[in-house]
Amino acid sequence: MSLPDRIDPRPPRRIYRWDLDKTYLRTDFDSFRDLVRTAFQKAHEKVAVPGASALIKELSENGDSRLCIVSGSPKQMRAVLEEKLKLDGVKWDEFVLKDNVGNLLRGRFRALRGQVGYKLPAILESRVGAPVEAEEVLFGDDAEADAFIYSLYADLIAGRVDERVLTQVLEAGGVYPDDAERVRSAWKRIPIADPVRRIFIHLDRLTPPAHFAPYGPRVVPIFNYFQAALVLLADGHLTAPQVIKIAVEMVQTAGHNIITLSNSFQDLIRRGLPLQHAALALSQALEGPNGLIQAIRPVPDIIAAFTKRLAALGTPPAPPRAQAVDYVSLISHALPRTHKDRKK
Amino acid sequence: MAGTSQELKDVTIAFDVMGSDHGPEEVVRGAAQLSLEAPHIHALLVGDREVIDAALADTKHRAERISVQHAAEFVGMDEKPGEALARKKHASVSVAAQLVAEGEAQALVSAGNTGAGVLACARHFKLIPGVRRAALAAVYPTRGTRGEKEDPFSLILDVGATVEATAEDLVTFAVMGSAYARIVSRNERPKVALLSNGVEPQKGPPRVVEAHAKLSSLQGINFIGNVEGVDIPKGTVDVIVTDGFVGNVCLKMLEGVHETVVELARYAYKEKLRWRAGLAMLSSGIQRIKDITDWEQYGGAPILGFDRIFIKAHGRSKARAITNAGKVAAKAVAHQLGTSIQEGLPK
Repeated sequence: MSLPDRIDPRPPRRIYRWDLDKTYLRTDFDSFRDLVRTAFQKAHEKVAVPGASALIKELSENGDSRLCIVSGSPKQMRAVLEEKLKLDGVKWDEFVLKDNVGNLLRGRFRALRGQVGYKLPAILESRVGAPVEAEEVLFGDDAEADAFIYSLYADLIAGRVDERVLTQVLEAGGVYPDDAERVRSAWKRIPIADPVRRIFIHLDRLTPPAHFAPYGPRVVPIFNYFQAALVLLADGHLTAPQVIKIAVEMVQTAGHNIITLSNSFQDLIRRGLPLQHAALALSQALEGPNGLIQAIRPVPDIIAAFTKRLAALGTPPAPPRAQAVDYVSLISHALPRTHKDRKK
Repeated sequence: MAGTSQELKDVTIAFDVMGSDHGPEEVVRGAAQLSLEAPHIHALLVGDREVIDAALADTKHRAERISVQHAAEFVGMDEKPGEALARKKHASVSVAAQLVAEGEAQALVSAGNTGAGVLACARHFKLIPGVRRAALAAVYPTRGTRGEKEDPFSLILDVGATVEATAEDLVTFAVMGSAYARIVSRNERPKVALLSNGVEPQKGPPRVVEAHAKLSSLQGINFIGNVEGVDIPKGTVDVIVTDGFVGNVCLKMLEGVHETVVELARYAYKEKLRWRAGLAMLSSGIQRIKDITDWEQYGGAPILGFDRIFIKAHGRSKARAITNAGKVAAKAVAHQLGTSIQEGLPK
């Protein structure tokens, strides 16, 4: 055994938690036909959401981070999903999949579609062994209950939700007693801290952003991963050149262009995200030697487009204020959607 | 997203969000719908930022295809256009027209005050070389359909921008209307006619007679001669050319007839059970007529003659009409309406 192998890895400073379907992968399972097609797709047939793999790779470049994936896909799909992640060059530390066959055999039909009873214990148990000071950023989508579960998770470990509310939520969410016990048990083992910095919700269904307002400014609905990269630049998780790399990938592979990127930027400013400094850093990075972006579009055009979008608004709006989340009243967000809801 | 945007060239449409009858929310909803339906069209929403943001936050849209330009003022429907624009330097329609003139967007759509829209365009846009006066066109539902899309509308121009048109102006209007019908209705050889008090070439005031002679010898236009007022709803031709005074009177009269018929039907429905039963039996036919004459599917009508595209949506436009107005504007841009008009003008 060589010397480096005997040195313990450094504890993670940042933990990135990702959902998979509709967050990382473009997935359709709104109908039985979609479900069957998804189940039989080969790894190379699966398509990642533009910018997602680039973002994950850039976040891991900074070191000291941990990538934890919790997906509602069945355990039987592990091989194909892992192959897809490898094809994309994504390295993960934790990969949890749902035991739907087990649920079926045990007659736990609510658990087949329920998300709270699956994801909440999974991410709480994952947090148990994490260093207290490790910050977290979570990525989910608007198809199911990610905003609700991630926010509840953040407020549970920060001590902002008490046991009475948790019990009400678990009951209303149709969580089986053993899963509820896993939630309580893991929660009690986690030291109180406030590590969750952001919760990104990929708007796969284009749910209007106002739907997520009750969760406060920590939850940021995003239309694309360039928006997530901009916020992570402002939050200090990425550097401007890394954001440019993500933008370039989105331009080269997903049909994005200077208009869509600058509009995405302005959308966040209009929603009160404090991105002025990020915009400045981005402009400075663009002015440096960057052959890749020069090849796509002259740099002055990009800077001008961003500057114009910023100037078009006059005084930027004030950021929304942090607020307490009323989980009991938001429980409908956590319940499985009907087929009719999905079609909306 | 990639698929269609690679096939069609990206185009940005400026929407004057303020001043329509149903309020800014309806225009924002229309533009939001456009962002979902047409990947190559980007919407630049001009108006009160807070109002726009509040409406957008509650509406399904694609933020990548929408941007906002704040404009603190707007011209109301009941305001005098000239006075209002002089007083309100930052009126949304002016700001939007300026953005189009500067190349930030390629076309303007407004459901606000028509006069203010025309005036804002006159101030910020240039007339196409060879065009002396701009023309406000209107679409009118007809019995016959036209073009690849089987549009059940004919185009009437001018309906108010140039009250006293010369023979040259009428010729220009014919060329502009023909180019527009060719592009928007995908009608390869639209039939063009002058509105007069008889079909004979010598009928009508001197300017109409003179225009008739000029149009008869003009290449590249399918001029079929004169038509009478009765031919407008029949849809005998695709483009009807007249001056702003006559066109406006005609249009208002046609609208009046339509409203009166609707009122009579309502009266009949309330008056006698037998009449009500008769109307009920006709309901599917009435619905069919309603579908055909649904102006919202057409979106709006153009102001023709400027070097930039301006689609004037009806003041009562709801979201669907705004979406369609945006599509019409994008189509006019994509097919280079201005160039097409210029090429058709007499040399």
